[in-house]
Amino acid sequence: MFLSVEEIVKHYDGVMALNRISLQVRRGTVKGLMGPNGAGKSTLFHLISGMEKPDSGRICFMEKEITGLQTHEISRFGVGRTFQTLQVWGNMTVVENVLTGMHTRIRGGFLSTGLYLPWIKKSEEIAIKEAKEILELFGLFGRWKWFASQLSYGEQRRLEIARGLAAKPDLLLLDEPAAGLTYPEAKQLAQTLSRLKEAGLTLFLIEHHMGMVMEIADEVAVLNNGELLAEGPPDMVKSDPSVIEAYMPRK
Amino acid sequence: MVDQVHKEFRKRDLLYSGALWLLSLILPDPQLHYRREYQFRKRDLIYFLTIIALPMIWSDPHFHHIMVLAGIHAILALGLTLFLGYAGQISLGQAAFFGIGAYTMAILTTRCGVPSLPAFWASGLTASFFAYLIGRPILKLKGYFLALATLGFGEIFLVMVRESPGLTGGVIGIFDIPYFSLAGFIFDTYLKQYYLIWGILMGLALFSKNLIRSKMGRAFLAVASSEDGASAVGIDVSRIKLSVFVIGAAFAGLAGSLFASVMSTANPETFSLNLSVLIVMMVILGGMGNLYGPIAGAIFLTWLINGLSRYQEYSLPIYGVILILLLVFFPDGIGTRLRVRLIYLISYSGRKRRREKVEL
Repeated sequence: MFLSVEEIVKHYDGVMALNRISLQVRRGTVKGLMGPNGAGKSTLFHLISGMEKPDSGRICFMEKEITGLQTHEISRFGVGRTFQTLQVWGNMTVVENVLTGMHTRIRGGFLSTGLYLPWIKKSEEIAIKEAKEILELFGLFGRWKWFASQLSYGEQRRLEIARGLAAKPDLLLLDEPAAGLTYPEAKQLAQTLSRLKEAGLTLFLIEHHMGMVMEIADEVAVLNNGELLAEGPPDMVKSDPSVIEAYMPRK
Repeated sequence: MVDQVHKEFRKRDLLYSGALWLLSLILPDPQLHYRREYQFRKRDLIYFLTIIALPMIWSDPHFHHIMVLAGIHAILALGLTLFLGYAGQISLGQAAFFGIGAYTMAILTTRCGVPSLPAFWASGLTASFFAYLIGRPILKLKGYFLALATLGFGEIFLVMVRESPGLTGGVIGIFDIPYFSLAGFIFDTYLKQYYLIWGILMGLALFSKNLIRSKMGRAFLAVASSEDGASAVGIDVSRIKLSVFVIGAAFAGLAGSLFASVMSTANPETFSLNLSVLIVMMVILGGMGNLYGPIAGAIFLTWLINGLSRYQEYSLPIYGVILILLLVFFPDGIGTRLRVRLIYLISYSGRKRRREKVEL
């Protein structure tokens, strides 16, 4: 199994955020994670990416256990992520943001970069070329010299996905990529994501946008109050009575 | 009438654009200056030539001496700007690393008879070793807590130096440290020391510049801006912080060893909290997030303190007022704002005259 979450439990001071959740993500598919606010979606992403530690349970990625590892170690295993609250680096230009996403792939330690040995120069040039290609994919090429803080909200969202992609992850966790986007922007984003899926990337995304999830997800899981309500193909989940109950509770 | 005004404007515009061109030769462009691509520009050449030619034109030993001190302060500020200006962490303990460097130089050259150059490198290594030891636990702290922890380290260092007279000479310190010598060439005049120190400063500035324009510099900025974002792309945040701290301490150690060999003495009064605060001030006044700024700040503050030493009892209030005014008019540093301010000043008289014309 590509990514498997087994029996994971997380408490916050007596509040049960996640209660024995088990999920699987298969390689090359797009999995959507849905649920009302406070259902524990972002908590699950924090646990997978190592920003927080689970109370019990196991998380395995490509047959290796990653529970309890630090975020940067998990990221080096090939798990990239974006954030619900934007975490682009406003003090850097757009292209520098993407280049920093490639940090682990560019060679060089402190001494060699400080002396700027010839192969550092070469790898920087290659990286810049590649970064510009990634920016082109997300329609940000015209803005590459801008500071990230000067971009509009939608552009910053795209930049964050571009940055996550720059690390060449096997699995990309997207935390509400379409939040705050206008309808055409969200539509465009969905197209870009499905293109990434065709390129063989595995996506795991939290999304409120029903339409978008139905369009690109192969499988959907629904969380509510830390419990897994339903899991399966989008059409099946959509008609599941417990899901309808969670989203539109009867008066 | 209209024609005449138009003509006059043209003449003046020519004057302004000439003045602006001259400015652009000397000062970095406020807009482009954060761009971290490296190009050797005309003004880099002008800085370089100025540094070489200045002591020959102004051949006053006192001037040389102050510039030597300014150069040492600039090395300190350069080390701190990597930590404070780029990685966004604060340290109030740079003076302790400066002191460690100075004492290493002093002890190695006076007691063990080690030549200057190995002692110089050893002091950088010793300072970075201590930085590694204390950095591991305290760099988990952030903001004010980190400032307090580093401040505490500085005070502990002072107490240790004062209380171990066997090693460091206690309160009196160590005297008769030999001048820096390189393959038989002794740097015994202020002029020779000037070239030694500014040469080393240029080397270290180039090293920092290389760091900043490559992946390491980007990692520093990422850590400063969003640690979560940085760790999500695989940057080991704690390791980056520790490394920048160690590099900054190594710079301070090298500066300390130069200080010891220039002044021939090392005593604990020099390495007090005042110096740490002064270095932070240099970085903030000079401008964070660029490399020329702290050097300019170091030169400026060294000269300011030197100039104020004439007015003994009034020096501190004057110093305070000048700092406040500078922070009001140059909130992001002299290095960042100076050109904008000068452009404003140059065009001011023009605008004033134009206003009068319109009122007529």
